[in-house]
Amino acid sequence: MADFMVFAETRGGNLRTVALETVSAARQAADASGGGTVHALVCGAAGVAGAAEALAAHGADQVHVVEHPQLAHYNAESVAATAAALIQSTGARAALFSASVEGRDLAPRVAAKLGVGLAADVTAFEVHADHVTATHPVYTGKAVATLRLVGTPAVLSIRPGAQPAVEHAGKGEVSSLAPALDPAAARVVVTEVGARGAAKLDLGEAPVVVAGGRGLRAAEHFSLMEDLAAAFGNAAVGATRAVTDDGWRDPADQIGQTGRLVSPDLYVAVGISGAVQHLAGMRTSRVIVAINRDKDAPIFKVADYGIVGDLFEIVPRLIEEIRARKAAG
Amino acid sequence: MKIAVCLKRVPDTEMRFAIAADGKSVDTVGLKFEISTFDEYAVEAALQLNEAHAPGEVAVVGLGPDGLGEHLRKALAMGADRAIHLAAETVPYDALAIARSLAGALKEQGFDLILFGRNATDTGSGAVGPMVAELLGLPCVTAVSHLEISGATGTARRELEGATATITFPLPAVLTIDEGIARPRIAGLKGIMAAKKKPMEVRPAELGAEVLSIDRLALPPERQAGRIVGEGADAVPELVRLLHDEAKAL
Amino acid sequence: MTILPLRHQLQLSQDRFILPEAPGPEAVAMDVLFVGAGPAGLAGAIELARLVQADGTLGEIGIAVLEKAESLGEHNLSGAVVNPRAFRELFPGMADEAFPFRQKVEGEAIYFMTAGGSTRIPTPPTMHNKGNWSASICEIVRWLGEKAEALGVNIFTGFPVDSLLVEGHRVVGVRTAPSGLTRQGEQGGDYTPPTDLSATVTVLTEGTRGPLSQAWTAWQGVGSANPQIFALGVKEVWDTKVPLDKVIHTMGWPLPRDAFGGSWLYPQGPNQVSLGLVVGLDYRDANLDVHEMLQRMKLHPLIAPYLEGGTLLEWGAKTIPEGGYHALPERFSGDGLVMAGDCVGFVDVPSLKGIHYAVQSGIFAARAIFAALKRGDSSAQALSGYDAMVRGSYIARDLHRTRNMRLAFKDGFFTGAAKAGLMTLTGGRLPGGRIAMHADAEVPRKTGTGTPFQPDGVRTFSKLDAVFKSGNATRDTIPSHLLVGRDIAPEVADFYSHLCPAGVYERVGDELRVNPPNCVDCKATDVLGPRWTPREGGSGPKYRSM
Repeated sequence: MADFMVFAETRGGNLRTVALETVSAARQAADASGGGTVHALVCGAAGVAGAAEALAAHGADQVHVVEHPQLAHYNAESVAATAAALIQSTGARAALFSASVEGRDLAPRVAAKLGVGLAADVTAFEVHADHVTATHPVYTGKAVATLRLVGTPAVLSIRPGAQPAVEHAGKGEVSSLAPALDPAAARVVVTEVGARGAAKLDLGEAPVVVAGGRGLRAAEHFSLMEDLAAAFGNAAVGATRAVTDDGWRDPADQIGQTGRLVSPDLYVAVGISGAVQHLAGMRTSRVIVAINRDKDAPIFKVADYGIVGDLFEIVPRLIEEIRARKAAG
Repeated sequence: MKIAVCLKRVPDTEMRFAIAADGKSVDTVGLKFEISTFDEYAVEAALQLNEAHAPGEVAVVGLGPDGLGEHLRKALAMGADRAIHLAAETVPYDALAIARSLAGALKEQGFDLILFGRNATDTGSGAVGPMVAELLGLPCVTAVSHLEISGATGTARRELEGATATITFPLPAVLTIDEGIARPRIAGLKGIMAAKKKPMEVRPAELGAEVLSIDRLALPPERQAGRIVGEGADAVPELVRLLHDEAKAL
Repeated sequence: MTILPLRHQLQLSQDRFILPEAPGPEAVAMDVLFVGAGPAGLAGAIELARLVQADGTLGEIGIAVLEKAESLGEHNLSGAVVNPRAFRELFPGMADEAFPFRQKVEGEAIYFMTAGGSTRIPTPPTMHNKGNWSASICEIVRWLGEKAEALGVNIFTGFPVDSLLVEGHRVVGVRTAPSGLTRQGEQGGDYTPPTDLSATVTVLTEGTRGPLSQAWTAWQGVGSANPQIFALGVKEVWDTKVPLDKVIHTMGWPLPRDAFGGSWLYPQGPNQVSLGLVVGLDYRDANLDVHEMLQRMKLHPLIAPYLEGGTLLEWGAKTIPEGGYHALPERFSGDGLVMAGDCVGFVDVPSLKGIHYAVQSGIFAARAIFAALKRGDSSAQALSGYDAMVRGSYIARDLHRTRNMRLAFKDGFFTGAAKAGLMTLTGGRLPGGRIAMHADAEVPRKTGTGTPFQPDGVRTFSKLDAVFKSGNATRDTIPSHLLVGRDIAPEVADFYSHLCPAGVYERVGDELRVNPPNCVDCKATDVLGPRWTPREGGSGPKYRSM
């Protein structure tokens, strides 16, 4: 039997999907250990307690809610202190965080406060009596490390999307918790969280890259790619060398051996045949989608999913479907 | 302003990547090493801050084997003033062990800012910076993509998933630097010459017990042959479903 | 139809490389500058630093080595089986085992290949490799670099020299190439201006087909009996599963009979082989494609078994000066200038050796420069001691002994082989006299239709795949450093596309398309087509174990 503490990430008072994934991962591990208790910690302004229901539905037995006006935004110092205290008071075997931007800020602070090890950005883990093993992609995805973490509690951050959010009723007892550090005393203060501005996402860091090739036939058709990127919301637009050579796009947008090397979570190749020079720049992407008229195009050999056909029909439909999916949350 | 920048020496695995015979590490035969990308951004950010808030100094600090020296030297050639090399035959996987060693070297030196890269390009954990902050009791902002310092207060921007956070903090502080803050400068000939005369202190890393270790390093599973979902626009809903449910890419 | 390469080639003005300007006020002052961190430059710097230190009377002498590659060794490529002789002289008392070589040659074999088979033939005396070592020149250069730095030599990687600064006939320094130019040649956000360096003596050790050596010899009117001629070598390094216990050389297929060249297969440790193909650039068939021939060769029953289950680790290409003794310049030094290594042409083709001549000439350059510094005189007269040392050494003797052997092949393989055999027997005396040569660009080429080759991506690779394996990650927005002649006919575009192993040139429709970032600085088209000029530091290949 192992008990778990999970930090449930919110934004704007709403649970993020990664919170449900992390709770689900804890539930599964607790059950695998013979049925431990899953504690979830959720912090926010008044009303964040409403998140407890969803956490319970994904396996949380105890939901600890901290409500404070100064927790409306992520408050690293207060939340870290509270999480560390809760881990200690619950005697949790392991604490799970999301390896999101904020989770990766929080988990190391908590581990350092407790003086214990952290396995960051793991895709899977197993809890044993005297150690925890965790799987962590390293070298920008070129290898996978199996880590061994000794000591209790073990702190882990779980890569977003690596563990599915699974509905599984937990006891769902809700209790309110006082912050271990007054949020108003925090030195680091998030003053504003805004939608990302017009600033273009960098190709190297965008989680999604949509890239266009000669199949787009003209520079002005790249507006279709811009629309597709906008639909994803977290995408950057890239291009092949043929396209940048023809001046349709800025050379800085070129993905390939002589341009940018990218390794996003999702790569959508539109009207790209798949010249080796291009493949060299994107082959380490996690998931590759190809849309091309020619079913024999080499791009389909590296693509996980392909659609053969006219991109001018397929891409607008894809924009529509992605928008619908994003709207549904 | 006194600024410290912590650097990690990492292998450049772009061309060649193989697992060593021990099954736990990268085969370094013929491998080239470099300063981890984000750390180089941190160096640039420090140099620009130092130029804007003179007088001051930029110290670069690293932990690693002999080969680290040339990378510290490169940072000196870019314009840093001095270097501290915490000598260790290998860099542990355990971020806390690294953080303890660095914190020991950085404490009580009066740094206004201690900068790190957002994460190292080898392990990609991004844990050492915030751990050092905790150990030193300093405020910390991670993944800073834009930074302004005014007096004893800083304002930083952090890119979240689909949003941007604006964050204020007091100095002294620990920051981890994201891409996009500034493009690293190329060291000129004169900088390289000058770097030879700049001080580089070498002392043992004093690494304590490690609680995180690596059991095994393996190549990821081969990319499976792709699948044609269908033809034309009618195949789009199925594609989106697969991306969401199967590939978990949405 | 026939193509005369020279007709389509731009003549590079020496004004491009020789600037009658004093180093600028911001110049970095050095005493001795080596241009190019290959075996010649680094050996020279090491020897000079040691002589200065041992002497102790010259005070602080600034020695610098400028290198265009981003890191040491990344632009060096060789077979290589190395004669350790010059290394022993550079590091007296050090055992051969301590040199950065891979393994001692334990056996050797030469084969004459046909399309489907091969026949082992006796090893000619010039090609014996007993006592020699297989090695990676990249590793040798990195090792020499460490030795040089430990002696206080300044090594500046990522700084190509763009031009020589001269006063009258004297070379007084160099100017580096700028970086951060846009494709249109304007100053971009990362623009770094050129840097001037002043020096009492500048040593050109820039390697094969060096633009500065060409410009300086032209400017100084330094001639040679024969024009220098070149070969193009394409090399691959493979991680292998099948052990190779000997050094293998081949002749014959896949070369046509009117081309000179051959291939090699060398063991580089237990699980690695180096293989490559070298073809003289006086070949006649405009469709000849060295990269493609090497790909076909890997499928031949003699070669294929060794690569079974292996993977391509690296790919690269470079030219080799093959003119030998008669193509050496009349002098190797002048006012404030010395030349050493491949850029002079210190390569012995019959024994397939150049590295130890480069190291040895670097050592001689250092000794002559040291003597000049001691006397406070770096005039042509004072530095001519270098020429005397080279001419009195095994460098000149070896090249003289084999002076006509490569040249004999200008009329094809069989006449060449017969003549070369006679030369070996007579120590180079017969057939007598100097065989006069044309520059490679003056040899006409026959156009025709080649057989298309489809690489499989496993054993054989396209040029684009190959360039990727050279580690070339040159910025795509770089301005072109390749100067192409005007009105390139479609046939000439085809010729260039076959000539260039790196896919820099393509025929698109009837037009020539140039992809400068692909360039791996092999210089093949500088010999026969578009001219090569220095570009931004750190561009080009990143060889690690070539």
